[in-house]
Amino acid sequence: MSAPAPLLVEAKGLAKTYLVGDVRVAALAGVDLVVEEGRFVAVTGASGSGKSTLLNLLGGLDTPSAGTIEVGGAIISAMGREDLARYRRSVAGMIFQSFNLVPARTALENVELPLIFAGLEKSERRRRAAELLAQVGLAHRARHRPSELSGGEQQRVAVARALANGPRLLLADEPTGNLDSRTSREIVGLIAGLNRERKLTIIMVSHEEGLVREFAHEIVRLRDGRVVEPGGPS
Amino acid sequence: MRFKDAVDFALASLRKRRLRTFLTAAGVMIGIGALVSMISFGKGMQKNVTQAFKASDLFSTIVVMPGGGEAPQGGSELRRQPVEEASRPDAVLDDAALAAIAALPGVRLAYPDIGFPAMVGLGGPQEFRLVQVIPAAVAASSGLKVGWGRPYSSDDEEGVVVSRALLRRLGVTDPASAVGRKLRLTTVSIDLGRLATLDLGSIFKGGSSPIAQETYEFPILGVTEILAFGGEANLTANAVMIPPGPAKRIKRLPFSSIWDLFRMRNGKAGYSAVTVKLGSLGDLNRVRTGIHGLGFATFAPADQFEEITRAFVVMDMVLAAVGMIAIIVAALGIVNTMVMSILERYREIGIMKAVGASDGDIRRIFFFESGAIGFAGGAAGCLLGWAVSLLINRIIDLYLARQGMPSVAYFAFPFWIFLGAVGFAVMVSLASGIYPARRAARVDPVVALRHD
Repeated sequence: MSAPAPLLVEAKGLAKTYLVGDVRVAALAGVDLVVEEGRFVAVTGASGSGKSTLLNLLGGLDTPSAGTIEVGGAIISAMGREDLARYRRSVAGMIFQSFNLVPARTALENVELPLIFAGLEKSERRRRAAELLAQVGLAHRARHRPSELSGGEQQRVAVARALANGPRLLLADEPTGNLDSRTSREIVGLIAGLNRERKLTIIMVSHEEGLVREFAHEIVRLRDGRVVEPGGPS
Repeated sequence: MRFKDAVDFALASLRKRRLRTFLTAAGVMIGIGALVSMISFGKGMQKNVTQAFKASDLFSTIVVMPGGGEAPQGGSELRRQPVEEASRPDAVLDDAALAAIAALPGVRLAYPDIGFPAMVGLGGPQEFRLVQVIPAAVAASSGLKVGWGRPYSSDDEEGVVVSRALLRRLGVTDPASAVGRKLRLTTVSIDLGRLATLDLGSIFKGGSSPIAQETYEFPILGVTEILAFGGEANLTANAVMIPPGPAKRIKRLPFSSIWDLFRMRNGKAGYSAVTVKLGSLGDLNRVRTGIHGLGFATFAPADQFEEITRAFVVMDMVLAAVGMIAIIVAALGIVNTMVMSILERYREIGIMKAVGASDGDIRRIFFFESGAIGFAGGAAGCLLGWAVSLLINRIIDLYLARQGMPSVAYFAFPFWIFLGAVGFAVMVSLASGIYPARRAARVDPVVALRHD
């Protein structure tokens, strides 16, 4: 880990305030974050510390109240809605605690979704989706709907979907929050494998210290919307 | 996102909510159905009236009237009102005037309106009718549809033509069986011998009157059909037509109403009107000018036709407005359904945005959804409007058939009605989809993904 890797993510002075009723609540209050290409970064902190807000900002789902985010040279904090959609589609893949699969669609169709919005032809996206499902070990479950899949299987489908358009960054928001410990380990193992084999940059929000220590290259601790302890796993 | 994929998304989501899609589309269907039958009814009426006008020779007809006191008449006799004042109010429409009119270039035929009241019957019940004296040339013209038997062949043939409606009143249901039977005409005339010793008071006291009745019998040569849309209304309405030859033999009062007496000029009454048939429609203005030169007023049904055409435009608009009300209700139904759909699919919209759907993609999906509802509803509405129109037509026909009226297509369906209706339905539903589609596109993915 001595070779200097180029920066993929660079966030400066990130702040996000929400208006709850008449009260301004600061979810993030000036966060600086630097992630080198190919790293596996874990973000931890108590609930309400701003972890998910940070991830939503990095994923282009939300826009910061202040500060800048640069990913791969593009300043996403300054992007319009259309550019942000394109960024979510092809640069940053996201997975969530509650999987967020479309219930009416099969595993294959869920993986196809980002490919549809990317404008791929049907036969091509069918082929790609099947390939992705095979990569996460779910080729045999392609025709099943989310309700017919276990939690672990659903999260694998979500991972395959996040990878559909070949992103440079995978953002995982408490991916193991709804899973038992054995399955949690499998999922984080899968993510770590992608990091190792494809040099895919990972930012994972989690509060499972054990898993984080085992797999992440570095841990960012948040408290009350601020970074308290940047650095490697100690 | 490809166009086809957006359509697929829209259809898939409509399929998933079959009942609601069906109910919403049914709203559009009813609206479009109402609009289609309303407009086709308007077009049908227009077509029928135009055809009746064209078939009936009315375009090439001018009615000539003397100036001065015109008898007060009901609204149905509108065509008898002259459109202008006669240049010489004292001109008398007598045989000399008739000859002068007939001699005008462009006049094919001119004959006086002569009618007299009579009781008519076939031996059974009797009816009181105005018998019209019509030359054979007119009775044989296309304006008069003789459906059974034949029109009289010369002005001197002994025989009459009656209308089917009169036969029904006289108890004859099969018009063919009436041909050849004798029609009994009873007229009144004044017994001049008794008039000298007349004591008017005695008439009302039950004394003998100077009024004499005469009865004549003529074979029925032909029976006219009833034209549903006017046609030569005054000819058929008068129920009995007789050629001028035998008419001369009939003793009768020289006038058909007291009003005729008021029209007298220098002791001469003349005819109340003369009907002129033109050689061609192009002669209309030339002949009319000639008649004005003779001092008479004219009326041409062709003028009235323009007025009718204008009235149809208004009627079409009123009918369309009624149909529009149903369409507006249907459009509100679409907005309601689409907004409901957004609320139900809030999370799904969030997911689609999270994996890279743009605002435009979401907007298009919802837009196509409402467009598809409109298309389905519009197409079904065309079928509904068409079916309902046929049904109503059938019911009216059944009802009118009992009154001896022929079956008529009251609705017209030019192809553009269907194309226009479907196009209009799609347009309205797309317009209804604008607000929901914008709202769906504006969904905040962060909020939507938190949504359960």
